[in-house]
Amino acid sequence: MPIFYHDDPEWSDIEPLPQDDGGLHPLAAIAYADEYSEAMGYLRAVMAKNEFSQRVLGLTEHIISMNPAHYTVWLYRSRTLSELKASLHDEIAWLNPTALKHLKNYQIWHHRQTIIDGINSPKGEHEFIATMLEQDSKNYHVWSYRQWLVKRFGLFDDKEEMRWTEDMIHADVRNNSAWNHRWFLVVGGRDGKTLPENVVKREMDYAKSAIRKAPQNQSPWNYLKGIVREAKLPVSTLKDFALEFADMRRPDDIYSSHALDLLADIYAEEENGKEEAKKALELLASKYDPIRAHYWNFRKGLLDQSGVAA
Amino acid sequence: MADAEISPAQSPSNRLEEILDASDRIEELSDSENDYEDMGSVTQEEQANIDYLESVRIPIIDELKTETSEVQDDTLEVVLPFLEGNPNDYPLNIFGIPQLQREKHIAFLKQALGDYPSGFALLDASRPWLVYWSLQGLSALYYDISQYRERVIHTFSLAQHPTGGYGGGFGQLPHLAATYAAILSLAMAGEIEAYESINRKNMWHYLGQMKQPDGGFTMAAGGEEDIRGAFCALVVMSLLHIPLELPPDAPARQHGLTSFTDGLGEWISKCQSFDGGMSAAPGNEAHGAYAFCGLGCLAIIGPPKETLNKYLNIDTLIHWLAARQCSPEGGYNGRTNKLVDGCYSHWVGGCWSIVEAATTSDMWNRSALTRYILSGCQFKRGGLIDKPGKRADAYHTCYNLAGLSATQHTYTYEATMQIDLGGSALDAPYYWKLDGVHEEGKVWDETDHIAEVHPIFVVPFKAAHACRKYFEEKEGF
Ligand SMILES: [Zn+2]
Repeated sequence: MPIFYHDDPEWSDIEPLPQDDGGLHPLAAIAYADEYSEAMGYLRAVMAKNEFSQRVLGLTEHIISMNPAHYTVWLYRSRTLSELKASLHDEIAWLNPTALKHLKNYQIWHHRQTIIDGINSPKGEHEFIATMLEQDSKNYHVWSYRQWLVKRFGLFDDKEEMRWTEDMIHADVRNNSAWNHRWFLVVGGRDGKTLPENVVKREMDYAKSAIRKAPQNQSPWNYLKGIVREAKLPVSTLKDFALEFADMRRPDDIYSSHALDLLADIYAEEENGKEEAKKALELLASKYDPIRAHYWNFRKGLLDQSGVAA
Repeated sequence: MADAEISPAQSPSNRLEEILDASDRIEELSDSENDYEDMGSVTQEEQANIDYLESVRIPIIDELKTETSEVQDDTLEVVLPFLEGNPNDYPLNIFGIPQLQREKHIAFLKQALGDYPSGFALLDASRPWLVYWSLQGLSALYYDISQYRERVIHTFSLAQHPTGGYGGGFGQLPHLAATYAAILSLAMAGEIEAYESINRKNMWHYLGQMKQPDGGFTMAAGGEEDIRGAFCALVVMSLLHIPLELPPDAPARQHGLTSFTDGLGEWISKCQSFDGGMSAAPGNEAHGAYAFCGLGCLAIIGPPKETLNKYLNIDTLIHWLAARQCSPEGGYNGRTNKLVDGCYSHWVGGCWSIVEAATTSDMWNRSALTRYILSGCQFKRGGLIDKPGKRADAYHTCYNLAGLSATQHTYTYEATMQIDLGGSALDAPYYWKLDGVHEEGKVWDETDHIAEVHPIFVVPFKAAHACRKYFEEKEGF
């Protein structure tokens, strides 16, 4: 049922501000439906007089139902809520089904963040996020929002948060968003402070066991290398592990191109390892990851340069 | 397509998907597949394509099935027939690859600049994008856009906000995404009338409101702070030659900041993630579109060789960028373990010029990307797409074409180049020059040639230079 305002007594004091397209025909013009066009006219009018009222909340809700991608309406709604000191819990209750309908919408997530910040509690948010991720387990907005929650409410060391992240990785060990979240919890909250030894070991073991499940999955390899770099350990720490998947004495039996890639780095740092490093990069370029041949050759070039420099 | 929404573009594609009938899209796909089945025996060109795909395939496949591997397998099943054969029956170029359907794409983009029925109200806040994507796409196709000049100026004079910056349209609040698209469109339209339609003094104040105490920028007042904000703001500042000094009313001044670039490089540095990529904001997952924004922003602050080395770990960055190229598809994905998508032809493909200006050239596989775009991303009825089975939109058309242009050209950054402008703040982007056509491994011929594109601004070189020059020579606001 379309909603109109022109004969609504509640709105009789407002003169709508119609969209003025001037003389020339604008580009990418939309032939708005009467309902949308009128509602926007009333919104422009209330915005022009800085009205923040209950009826503005109703109006913005109406426009959002027709166009949830309208940042102006969201921003003005957010200001209205704050001016009215409206119930933020009611707002979240209204927001939930709206968000589920529009998974990829920027505005909804930022709006939610503003509201939860005001409520000052993450209660209920984890359940809501779980529902969203069931629809799309790598939704960038949802994960970014989760990171905001962790930071805002200091959940870096929260056991539940870590357990949930592990469940997400367990459900799909290739979900890179979940790996990134784990990194955020383990390293992101430390503000550059060194990782305790036991955490370094725990994280390396965790990534290694994930790699053993599917050695060609790049996410845990990146994670593993990241931890070693973060802990300022020599990359050779990973040599035995990498050799499990790529022993260059058996170049036909390579189980992970990422292991070869890592071995190239490890050999490059060894005293007489340059030739082995080259061999690993050549295997990548010619057989195990040929689409990136240019990149592997570039890495080979770097080996020679470092030789010249030394 | 899924990722399009979080790119700097507020892409309408997902919104469009909501509008378009899903069954129609499936029909589109199965049509093509049937055509393919009917073609019978494998032609010589097809055999060559099949051999090529085999030559770039990673020969290791893990047994473990997860949601990620399942969608990847499903995608490959849809995409491969287009890379192997020619289900749309396009004429082939001399390399046996579908020719660029230039006329169809021009017609599609001209239509994208035209009127939309009421069901497209979802695009109401994205109209500046539609204009930018279409004008840039048309320019890339060597189509003269000067006929649109007056309408561009008119369209954006309506969307300019009285307090500075641009909104999606008349009466909408200013937003940095809309502002970015507006300024690029006006620069492309060109000439005094377009430049003078911009209220630069208000723009200075508006940008001052977006600058945050931590060095970054929000997209709108009360809106989200992310790397798009930093990039969009710096693009606008450089093209309009906006003073580097924060306006007196900028809230960031209360935190001791005095310049737009204060803390900016450091903030971008925090967006580099543990795997080398770049994310929307510190702590988020690395993503191709945000990587372009971050690199673009650094390449505006100063010469890429200086700024990239100063603020980023280039080794891990390159490693991550290289890993975005999907095998055997040849196109790029936006994140680790995600699907190939034509818009990353630019978001990731466009990063290479900047990275190569800081290191060395020729680190990526241009032919594989060319194949993906020409064989996989041309929509039967015009326009370009995310992947086979999807519909065309202006966003994917613009960024596939920009990516195709990146495969065809090499650009160099020459700090010593004599130019008739510069010498003042944020002039780094004007020291780029076209080196020439990239010949090695070329799989396109003259019919597929795309115009060169400015590596940072993603508009024609001439448009960017003329705009900056005009405002450098102008006295006062
Ligand atoms: Zn896309």
